[in-house]
Amino acid sequence: MNYKWIGAILIIVGCSGFGFMIAAGCKREERYLRELYSALEFMAAELKYRLSPLSELIARAAEHTSGTLWQVFSALDRELAGQIAPNAEACMRAALEQTPSIPPLTGKMLRMLGKSLGKFDVSGQLSGIALVREACNENRKRLERDRTERLRSYRTLGVCAGIAIAILLI
Amino acid sequence: MVCAWQALLNLLPPPMRQDVDRLGRDNLQELRLRKGMCPELVRSNGTVRLRESVTSEMLQYVVNAACRYSPWTASTAADGYITAQGGHRVGLCGEVVVRNGIMCDVRCVTSLCIRVARDFPGIGKGIPLTGSMLILGRPGSGKTTLLRDIIRTRSENGQGSIAVVDERGELFPSFQGKSCFSPGSRTDILSGCPKGQGIELLLRTMGPATIAVDEITAQEDCNGLLKALWCGVDLIATAHAGSLRDFMKRTIYKPLLDSRVFSTVLVMQAEKTWREERIPL
Repeated sequence: MNYKWIGAILIIVGCSGFGFMIAAGCKREERYLRELYSALEFMAAELKYRLSPLSELIARAAEHTSGTLWQVFSALDRELAGQIAPNAEACMRAALEQTPSIPPLTGKMLRMLGKSLGKFDVSGQLSGIALVREACNENRKRLERDRTERLRSYRTLGVCAGIAIAILLI
Repeated sequence: MVCAWQALLNLLPPPMRQDVDRLGRDNLQELRLRKGMCPELVRSNGTVRLRESVTSEMLQYVVNAACRYSPWTASTAADGYITAQGGHRVGLCGEVVVRNGIMCDVRCVTSLCIRVARDFPGIGKGIPLTGSMLILGRPGSGKTTLLRDIIRTRSENGQGSIAVVDERGELFPSFQGKSCFSPGSRTDILSGCPKGQGIELLLRTMGPATIAVDEITAQEDCNGLLKALWCGVDLIATAHAGSLRDFMKRTIYKPLLDSRVFSTVLVMQAEKTWREERIPL
C-alpha cells in the first residue's frame, strides 16, 4: 500500500519538475536572448568605432555575456584564433558543437549570426549584425508576451499531468 | 634569421601545412598558389612544387586567414595585397571590382603570392648612422629587410629617436600590440597610415631625429617626403628600381633627386647584399 503512495508521489514530483524545468528553460532562453542582444549592440558599436578584427570583436563581446553564451563566444574566439576552419561560419558551427547546452532559440540566432560573419565590408557586417539583433528582439518580445500566464500553465500542466497519471496508475 | 613561421603556416589550408613546414622552414621566400596548379615553393636554393592542386576553396581559405576572417581590416585588398599576421604579404590576383573608376576589391581570386617576411639582424652593419638614405632594389631583393635593420641599428646606436611610417604593416608587423621583429628601443611606429600624412604627423608630434618609410611608389609618398625636407630630420626610404640609373629615369622621383636630400644611396644586389652609389651631379 505504502509503495503505491510513494510511487504516486514520485510521479507527481517528476511531472511537476518537468513542468517547472520547461518554465525555467523559457526564462533562461529569454535571459540569453537579452544578453545576446546587448552583446550584438556592443559588437556593432565597437566595429563602427574601432574596426576591430573579428576575433578581437568576439573576445570583447564575450565580456558582455555570461554562462553558456560566454562559453560559445569564448569557443568562437578560440576557433577564430586557431585558424583551422575555412570561414567564420564554420568557426561558429564548431563553437556551437562545443556547447550543446545552448538553448535552441539562442542557438538558432547564433547560427544566423555565424552566417553573416566575416563576409562583407563594415557596412555589410553591421547590417548582418542588425538583422540578427532584430530577430533576437522579436523572439524575446514573443517570449515575454503573456509570460506569467504561460509559465504558470507549464507548471500547472506538469503538476496536473503528474496527478492524472498517479490517479490512473493507482 | 627571425621569421613568424607559425603565423605563415596558419595562413595555409591544414593539409598543406605539413609539406610547407618540411620543405620550406629554413629558406622559403615565396609561396605561389594558382588555381588548378600545384603550389610552388620558391626557396633560396631553388623551386619545388607540391603534389596536390590548388582549389578555389584553398585560395579562399588563405584570403580569409590573411584578413583574420575580417574583410574590413584588409583595406589594402583594393591595392591587390593583404598583410597577414607576422608581416607576410599576400598578393592577390583575380577578377577586380571597380567602382567609380577605382579598383576597390579582388573577387574570385585565382592566384596568390605569399611573400615570407624575414628579419636578418645585423645585415645593415657598416651603414652610416646619420644622414638621409635611399635604398633601391628589385622586388624581393631585400630592401625592407635592410631598412628594418638600419632602423633598429640607428635606434640603438644613433642620435635621437627614429620614427617609422609603416603603411603596409610589413616593417614591424605586430600582433596584439607586440611587434614580431625587434624595432629597437628608440623607435616609434605609426602603422597603417598613408606615408604623406604619417610623415607630417610624426614631424609635428614625435620630434624624431630620423623618419623612415618603406616603398615610395606614388606621387603622394614623394610629396610627403618633400614636405619633410630640410626640417632638421634625416629621411630613410626604399624604392623599386633595378639601379640608380633606372631610378633617375622615373619622373615622379625627380623633385626628390633635385633636392639632393639623400646623402647615401644603397642599391640591393643578390643574397641581401648592397653596394653604395653616388647621385651624379
